[in-house]
Amino acid sequence: MSVAGPLALAASDSLGALAPGTASGETPLTAAAVGSVSESIDWWLVGEPADWWFVVRNVDYLAGGVLLTVGLTVASILLGFLAGFPAGAVEVYGEGLPKRLVSTAGVVLRGTPIVVILLVMYFVIGVPQVNLGVGSISPAVSASILGLGLRSAAYQSQIFRASLSSVDDGQLEAGRSVGLSRFEAIRYVVVPQALRRSIPGFQNEFTIVLKDTSIVFAIGLAELLTRGYDLFTQETTAVLEVILFISGIYFVLTFTTNRALDYLGTRYAIPEGESA
Amino acid sequence: MTDGDFLRVSDVSKWYGDEQVLDEVSFGMDRGDVTVLIGPSGSGKSTMLRCVNRLAEAQEGSITLDGEEVLSPDTDVDELRREVGMVFQSFNLFAHLSAVGNVALGPRRVLGLSEDEARERAADQLERVGLADQLDSYPAELSGGQQQRVGIARALAMEPKLMLFDEPTSALDPELIGEVLEVMRALVDEGMTMLVVTHEMSFARAVADEVVFLDDGRVVERGPPEQLFERPEKERTGRFLERIASHD
Repeated sequence: MSVAGPLALAASDSLGALAPGTASGETPLTAAAVGSVSESIDWWLVGEPADWWFVVRNVDYLAGGVLLTVGLTVASILLGFLAGFPAGAVEVYGEGLPKRLVSTAGVVLRGTPIVVILLVMYFVIGVPQVNLGVGSISPAVSASILGLGLRSAAYQSQIFRASLSSVDDGQLEAGRSVGLSRFEAIRYVVVPQALRRSIPGFQNEFTIVLKDTSIVFAIGLAELLTRGYDLFTQETTAVLEVILFISGIYFVLTFTTNRALDYLGTRYAIPEGESA
Repeated sequence: MTDGDFLRVSDVSKWYGDEQVLDEVSFGMDRGDVTVLIGPSGSGKSTMLRCVNRLAEAQEGSITLDGEEVLSPDTDVDELRREVGMVFQSFNLFAHLSAVGNVALGPRRVLGLSEDEARERAADQLERVGLADQLDSYPAELSGGQQQRVGIARALAMEPKLMLFDEPTSALDPELIGEVLEVMRALVDEGMTMLVVTHEMSFARAVADEVVFLDDGRVVERGPPEQLFERPEKERTGRFLERIASHD
């Protein structure tokens, strides 16, 4: 995404209450609307009304950040699920070496600060650029996905470990009593129940990963929060506007996904009677 | 007494750690027989039952079903359990599946029936236990007695040659016991081979071909119900039966 936003700001007179709108090419109508609002609302909380134009002018810069934040979150959560679910299952049902390896890896990943994990991925292991045909993922982005994804896997494994062990042993036993193998009984009887019970923990994990993507600034990537920081360090009178704006975006992202997961939980809820 | 040899349990012993829970238990059943295991709690009767389909592992002795050794390491336990149905004290219905889903899972995944065939078979079995009107109910929506009947249908859907009942009515409110026993009686009439752990002495008296009294992991006494209940040979059997009777 371009860095035109913050640069454009230098050209405009940001201190003038009504001027910057026209100066940076917005329609006079919108500028007037903001102007009229400024007369009727007490702006003590958010500063001068004109400062919102600063956010508007840089919205494409922030949108690039949103894109990176969402992309990193989705890829990391997905990787975290693909690695974390089997890891949780191995911790519950495995034994011997595989179980020890998985639980040790989990302890190490959960015990290491995420900045360190990212630095190791980027500088020590040196995750390469990934070509996807249509486009390529830069080394910094693939290192971020791997780092955030593996750490999420370590946390998700505990969510699934807890939900798998919470399913009564009698369920597995009953599955086996009709002739299902151990794997089939876990797959068809325990997992469907455990996944339903993982939703609240998974909602937590999703929210945490979403906000933790900001840590990728450590290896030079600028997602939403970092871009916001870039902006308000340049335009110090619009600090609160930028912070409120990006908080709003984080809120919308977490709120909608949590509601979507809530819906999933209700949609697949196991019917309960009045008496059991 | 002539021992049947459809299911033959010979000198089966089992330990949990240092504690011996089964001590050289032996009995036999013919095809179509109903054998009831009775005894105080902790006497090993449930463990004995679970050794038959290897949900518990006996360490010594031999169990043969239809001539095949059950306890051999070469035995395919999944194959064994396909042929031996089990009904649990706590029902253990699959909580996320409807009644029909519970019964259809085995036929679908183990016997490889199509979705439709498995559903059809499940519906037939549920009708057999009087639940034709509850096909789509989930376990939590059913009464205990209905749940246990689904449990029985689930085992029957695999067309087992032996049915194991592990205290099938112990978790039920008294007014719900009857409907489960009624289904079990119907199975007896159909000639099902059944090994039953229960405290329902009137049921045992009415349908059992043989009653085995276990105490401390040992067979204290066994015989036809009229003999064991009316003229127990061992003093311990008599004492147990008196204790049970005083609660009836």
